Amino acid sequence: MKAHTLLLSVLAGGLASASAQEAAEAEFYKITTFPTPPDAAIEVGSVDLLPDGRVALGTRRGEVWLASNAQTSTTVGVWNPTTMRFEADKAASPKDTIQYQRFAEGQHELLGLSWKDGWLYAVNRYEVLRMKDSTGAGKANLFETVSTPWGVSGDYHEYSFGSRFDKNGDLWVVSCLTGSFSSKTAFRGWAVRVQPDGKMVPTCGGLRSPGGIGFDADGEVYYTDNQGPWHGSCTLQHLVPGSFQGHPGGNQWYDLAPNMGPRPVEPNDQSRMVTERARIKELVPPAVYMVYGPGKIGNSSTAVVCDLSEGKFGPFQKQLFIPDQSHSNVSRVYLETVNGVKQGVVFPFLKGLRSGPIGARMGKDGKFFVGGSDRGWGAKGGQPFAFERVDWTGKVPFEVHEMHAKPDGFELTFTEPVDPATAADPASYSARAFTYIYQAKYGSPEVDDVFPKIEKIDVAKDGKSVRLKFDVLTKGHIHELHFEGIRSKSARPILHPVAYYTLNEIPAK
Amino acid sequence: MKSLSPLLLPCLLAVSAPALLAQEPVKITLKTLTAQMRFDLADLTVSPGAKVQLTFENPDDMPHNVVFCTPGTNVEELVLKMLEKPEEAMKNNFLPNDPKVWLKSRLLNPHEKQVIEFTAPEKAGSYPYVCTFPGHAASMKGTLRVLSEAPKLQDLQFALYHGDWKNLPDFSKLTPHRSGAVADNLVQLNFDDYKNQYGLVFTGKLNFPNDGEYTFYCASDDGCRILVDGERVLNADGIHPADLREGKKKIKKGLRDVRIEYFQAAGGAELYVGWRPENFDITALSKWQPNGWKLGVQQKKNEFVGLPLEPKDSPVIYRNFIAGAGNRGIAVGFPGGLNFAWSAESMNLALAWRGAFMDAARHWKNRGGGHQNPAGFDVVRPTDLVPPFAVLDSPETAWPTLAPEATPEGYAWKGYQLDKDGVPTFRYVWNGVEVEDRISAKGDFKTGGSLERKISIKGKLPAKAFLLLARNAKITPGPDGFLVQAEKLSLTGTNYENQFSMQTDGATVSGGNLVVPARNEIVVRYAWPALHPAHSLPQASQ
Repeated sequence: MKAHTLLLSVLAGGLASASAQEAAEAEFYKITTFPTPPDAAIEVGSVDLLPDGRVALGTRRGEVWLASNAQTSTTVGVWNPTTMRFEADKAASPKDTIQYQRFAEGQHELLGLSWKDGWLYAVNRYEVLRMKDSTGAGKANLFETVSTPWGVSGDYHEYSFGSRFDKNGDLWVVSCLTGSFSSKTAFRGWAVRVQPDGKMVPTCGGLRSPGGIGFDADGEVYYTDNQGPWHGSCTLQHLVPGSFQGHPGGNQWYDLAPNMGPRPVEPNDQSRMVTERARIKELVPPAVYMVYGPGKIGNSSTAVVCDLSEGKFGPFQKQLFIPDQSHSNVSRVYLETVNGVKQGVVFPFLKGLRSGPIGARMGKDGKFFVGGSDRGWGAKGGQPFAFERVDWTGKVPFEVHEMHAKPDGFELTFTEPVDPATAADPASYSARAFTYIYQAKYGSPEVDDVFPKIEKIDVAKDGKSVRLKFDVLTKGHIHELHFEGIRSKSARPILHPVAYYTLNEIPAK
Repeated sequence: MKSLSPLLLPCLLAVSAPALLAQEPVKITLKTLTAQMRFDLADLTVSPGAKVQLTFENPDDMPHNVVFCTPGTNVEELVLKMLEKPEEAMKNNFLPNDPKVWLKSRLLNPHEKQVIEFTAPEKAGSYPYVCTFPGHAASMKGTLRVLSEAPKLQDLQFALYHGDWKNLPDFSKLTPHRSGAVADNLVQLNFDDYKNQYGLVFTGKLNFPNDGEYTFYCASDDGCRILVDGERVLNADGIHPADLREGKKKIKKGLRDVRIEYFQAAGGAELYVGWRPENFDITALSKWQPNGWKLGVQQKKNEFVGLPLEPKDSPVIYRNFIAGAGNRGIAVGFPGGLNFAWSAESMNLALAWRGAFMDAARHWKNRGGGHQNPAGFDVVRPTDLVPPFAVLDSPETAWPTLAPEATPEGYAWKGYQLDKDGVPTFRYVWNGVEVEDRISAKGDFKTGGSLERKISIKGKLPAKAFLLLARNAKITPGPDGFLVQAEKLSLTGTNYENQFSMQTDGATVSGGNLVVPARNEIVVRYAWPALHPAHSLPQASQ
């Protein structure tokens, strides 16, 4: 069992540096693992915020918990293997400790929650429903079906993730295929929108195994997909209405979706995304490859969370934060639009979550809530479930802030001015570009390596940006850039000195 | 593979068993399952003449016994015969004095246990066992198999190869690093200190005792295959953890060549090989055995016990994939041990049962797929998954059926609401008519108990609209409603009698169906026969 050994060697080799990395990250972003309620496994699958500040948690076991004091509590949960829960590390007053109320139970795997007009909307395996406590007893008594627009067959793989309401008042659902390869019931492997009247609009085909869905600062919709057939790696994908997202397994449902136009041309096997984009006009390439593999970005990307806190979560306003269920980490994504296509860069951001994060949400106050479960796949965090908060400590890490594609290279901006000597030194950088095979087989190795030379480096006078000129840019490739050598003016190293930029388009200027 | 299989843990008992425990009795524990009317094991295996120490535990809230019978005994008839003399039966604590019985426990009160030592019969065969307490034999039974160990490998040779493979190579084209005889004739891996990147080929002879079908088992990390006289009987090639697998083949009697090929890439390394000729026990041919190897592959899959949902103070709702209730099942369990499952596909009552509610382990301990049976007993399915209402020319017209997993035409699912007691009322719309379906429990399953169903309709019903209450059944009118004997129900391989009684006003029997003309309010009562009166007797004195 080779994978097992690989994991072991990575663990052995990486343990010291991983915890050192976590310690370094903790100076800037602090993780508070909450105590969890007794006699419950809160396998968080979805998170939303109520107007009164309570945090609603939907779980894989079909419960809804409402958590109070989640913004302020400093009481830390310590895993107790006997009681199988996180217990408070100290005797704290109820005001200092998170408090839970079981609002609903018995639902079928809640992977989407959204509060609106006094109702808590939820997505289970096969429907959008909404629930409400109309008696004031503290527990939901009304469970209304809003829409049942997609099928379910009993296969474990048929998860369904729901968004919050978009700018038009629609709720989006992304549903996983039946298994990795095919779609046995209607609209499995699709993104659909449910309008306020319950009407369903098929919106994008070609999804494989979504892990989460969310919006950017402009309200554009993205979801994460997982490595598998037609997916060389985990990805962050832009849900453009009418688009095809790459996996043809659910294409028979175009017959039920006249609004989508004719069924797209089937992708050729053993091809490349950039090649097939030229053949399939509906095909939207992944905005960002969440580069697969140990020590890289993702194994199982999940929620899509945008920082709309206007600085309360640190310097990365309007960027996206994407947790990963198996790596128990969070990555950071900066997106731009080039030739009408979304693309961008992913950086490592934060390690050390305690379970496999699935649901996440950030408030306008910059409090980032994330919860999850390792069930079925395992997670580096090691515990079967967890609910946690990430706070910015107020200290700004020295990081690459944004990475912009240029006609002949890239521009990096920084969270603080760079030391011009190290930033201008070619030895501070190394670059590689690669892509994945776009194929029906499960996954893909990294292929078609290109090693661009950095021909010219211009450091801006204010030290806030660096312009890199490459000898070659490869359209469709992921450009992996390491910059361990750069120091800030105050001689700090970069906290996460690697970036993976998905170059779907090369800008003309 | 992403996860480690629990089968990688060595089975300590099996490793130390043969030499150290030769004179010790074989220890077996048999338990009753609470409110499920079942033993935890429906299959026990011992060797002929073996000394056995049986620990019989009764964690249930009812009295139970276990009675072992001679091969071919019809255990339900045995109990009926005993009850022909009810007073004598009661005096004997419902333990039959019958020549067909060769071993019996005491009648155990709730939460008692008894240790019984016995010598297994010398004659190989299947010996049924049963709880003979009245009303239990239908589901509370099993089989003790008296089986000999099968022959083991002879003249076993090994050849060790080096190489980095993802699949088994063609060993015939490779030169072994070294080879030799295996002194104990058991397949094993530790010939050298190599941890990774090696292969092994075992060759030996095996005596096939008769012409028949043979089952071979393996659990290998990484790949292996088994060949008999050069023909493949089991293939588990590739890189994977040591999951138990099986392969069957018809083979003629005689001493035959057996070849076992194995390779190890990296990481964990294990190899188990076993076989079972007909009328023999599963027999290991390797030094190592995985957990649960004695049960074979089939039984291993049924080991889903572990997260019982127990309604304590109020009803418990469990929406999930429920066998017999479709993919949009909503199971509801009441504290008195009365339960039902509603289908948000057929918009209808799908199942009702008594005793234990549901076991959530299948869905909550893994990725969440697959259909789970009710945990209790006396499971009934009045109508199969068909729509509740239809417009018929006459009550005799055939009821519309439904494609699997489909929602019937003209129906829309609207959800449910809970009343102050936590009882759900399901809501749906049928062709513009709003329908509410509320099912609550009355009483306790031990004293009978019933489900009370009220269907309320708002809106104008079409003419000739009917509600279906039972389908494809033998329906007998009686003083307290109808006795319904519906088609035997089988859910994921478990069979249920599917008998119940039903009471409603205005129902008519037509063909095998029980239908009632639709009206604004229809009340239906579903009941099971009371458990045998012996259940309410003072507990047996010993």
